[in-house]
Amino acid sequence: MTATDQSQGGDAGGDAGGPGGGPGDGLEEIPPEPAGFLRRHVFSTDHKVIGRQFLFLGLSFLAVGGVMAMLIRWQLARPGVPVPVVGGLLFGRAGGLISPAAYTALFTMHGTIMIFFAVTPILIGGFGNFCLPLLIGARDMAFPRLNLASFWTMAAATAVLTASFFVPLGPPQAGWTAYATLSTAIGAPGVGQTLWVVAIYLNGASSVMGAVNYITTVIRLRAPGMTYLRMPLTVWGFFLTSILNALFVPVLAAAMVLLFFDRVFGTQFFVAGTTVGAGGDPILYQHLFWLFGHPEVYILIIPAWGIVSDLLSFFARKPAFGYRVTVAALVGVVILSTVVYGHHMFTTGMSPLLGESFMVLTMIISVPTSLLFLNWLGTLWRGASRMTTPMLFCLGLVFTFGVGGLTGLYLADVVADMYLHDTYFVVGHFHLIMAAALLLASFAAIYFWFPKMFGRMMSEALGKWHFWPTFVSLNVVFMGQLLIGYAGMQRRLYDPSVYEFLRPLLPLNRFISRAAYVLGASQLIFVVNFFWSLFRGQKAPKNPWAVGTLEWTVASPPPHHNFDRIPVVVRGPHELGHPAARALGKDWLGQDEGPVRPSADNATDGSTDGSPPDGSTEGAA
Amino acid sequence: MTAAASTVPRRRELDRAVGLLIFLGATAMLFAALLLAYAILRAEAPVWPPAGTPPFPRGAAAANTVVLLAATLALRAARSTDRRWPALAAAALGAAFLVLQAALWRRLAATHLGPSAGALGDVFFALSAFHALHVLAGLVVLAATRARPARLLTIYWDFVLIVWIVIYVAVCLL
Repeated sequence: MTATDQSQGGDAGGDAGGPGGGPGDGLEEIPPEPAGFLRRHVFSTDHKVIGRQFLFLGLSFLAVGGVMAMLIRWQLARPGVPVPVVGGLLFGRAGGLISPAAYTALFTMHGTIMIFFAVTPILIGGFGNFCLPLLIGARDMAFPRLNLASFWTMAAATAVLTASFFVPLGPPQAGWTAYATLSTAIGAPGVGQTLWVVAIYLNGASSVMGAVNYITTVIRLRAPGMTYLRMPLTVWGFFLTSILNALFVPVLAAAMVLLFFDRVFGTQFFVAGTTVGAGGDPILYQHLFWLFGHPEVYILIIPAWGIVSDLLSFFARKPAFGYRVTVAALVGVVILSTVVYGHHMFTTGMSPLLGESFMVLTMIISVPTSLLFLNWLGTLWRGASRMTTPMLFCLGLVFTFGVGGLTGLYLADVVADMYLHDTYFVVGHFHLIMAAALLLASFAAIYFWFPKMFGRMMSEALGKWHFWPTFVSLNVVFMGQLLIGYAGMQRRLYDPSVYEFLRPLLPLNRFISRAAYVLGASQLIFVVNFFWSLFRGQKAPKNPWAVGTLEWTVASPPPHHNFDRIPVVVRGPHELGHPAARALGKDWLGQDEGPVRPSADNATDGSTDGSPPDGSTEGAA
Repeated sequence: MTAAASTVPRRRELDRAVGLLIFLGATAMLFAALLLAYAILRAEAPVWPPAGTPPFPRGAAAANTVVLLAATLALRAARSTDRRWPALAAAALGAAFLVLQAALWRRLAATHLGPSAGALGDVFFALSAFHALHVLAGLVVLAATRARPARLLTIYWDFVLIVWIVIYVAVCLL
């Protein structure tokens, strides 16, 4: 009924896509645009504004975390030498030297900031918010005010975390994992660690609010005809990540609650050997942390996988190879990710039987990830690839994720892990995935959606100048870390050169550090490109990349209500190189484009336009 | 179309129900993780409750459970009547539950069962204090609706009651 009113030119009315009861078509009324600067730009409930806020917040913290990484690299390359240029400003009291306490605080905050306050806001907060409603054909999130609260809870978390730099005894120094007993009142008597706990709890609350919103939005607000198997893989990525977020961030919250009680009320959950009774157990913290922590790895990487799966198809000008297998692989990873966390704890003296079980389960995860990887290669195979900047970053991810994933197999093996645990091999492994792959995916997403977000194109030339030094130097840095880890260097050492057997690694460490400085410096090209394009970039057309997903059917940037009419979706997201499109003089079909055969006969469409045969029976409710 | 227009509020109601279910799932995971921590501590202990722990005042905790149960029932009753007093009674009983819990914590601290006095006291205090925060949140929302609770709020109160019963059985009785 209503679908017929909304369909374009009336010729899609008989299509399988748009029954009147489908989700999303009840939102006929266009919400009024709010007036006033504050309501429009600061306390906005518009998912596009909130997405941009998350993006800016994440990019700012990415810069802070990046500078910290460079200071860490300085200490490893030149132990005992004052930091040039900024040393006097940051470490004035120590004469520009990084003290052991400052070093410990640096790697703690580097990890915390990068994982919880840079990557999470950029990909999940930023692009999740911006993309989800646009890609499924909705006017906004299901709960716009909850979305607002989610951003400002995150902002409060960043404020609390920043405050921890300015308290007596300084910022937290227990590492980003905050293992007990380093993080209990015994190991960290200062207020800094307590503030860290509060910041992580608030950050988690923000994530769960986001997850409630994203899941509800995907279930309830898909446009008519947007079945689950017509959703872009980007949407699948955010949807599955949100499910993991809703289930496992609360486990971290539980760990934070108990740690908070230990620190503030004197309980002893994570303190071993108490005077009365059975006492607590520091390993208990590790169980709770990794029960969350391993799904967290996938919480971060699954949106990146989804985005890359879409973008590879868009720029190879081919349908995504094995769309359904990719979806199944993503779901498989989500399920398996919940039962493998023990591989972080092989060295805690767990029962060999348990260790072996975790090893086997961990290795089984490589089955769905290999399927995913092979599908990417299948998408690229014999494609008419367009080497745009987003495509380059996606291809970079395919490479680094390949290397990072393979090194994971060594760490999954109990015996190899006994040697490699807590060495730089682990650092190299998780940086190849959490830093390299996520950074490349974030940049791919920024270059790809920048025109839609800000209405201007980014410079392709500067983008390529940004990509190559970034890609080369990050591989040198993180593969170098694999090497020095294999040679036996432990992570978190203040000055490895005090150990004689690590002294020969100093030249290699210096080389890695130089590559890290190149990596940092090449991000300046991105900063220049970002701000230059924001104000002076070429005006973006509606659909600069010539792809068929719904966000490219509206103006750049989209109006406040996104869609004048809720679109009716008739096919999947990757109809590229479509024979039927040739008649229209292009190589792609939009998801809401009506039947393309010139006769425009209603009776048989759906059979030849390449849409999956699954109708709309999967709509919720 | 009038039919479509009339379904918009119903759709929003369903949206909220889906959102609430996901939120309760997340909260359930939080309490499940806390209970898991308790289970691991208890499994590792040679005897439970740890040697030297004074007997737990089960009766007082049971009385609090009855008060929370009464609050939840009163809120349910408030949904099926136009009158204000069942919702106000629910608010009063909920607040009474919090006061009684606070009194119980004081009593436990005095009898060497408070936080920092031993594993059983730790577990009960952490779980019940974090649960109390959820009761408080339910009271705040009830106050925000001016004692005209929506159906979803009663579901939340039911959830908070169930969580409390699980905590009571797992920590105080078993």
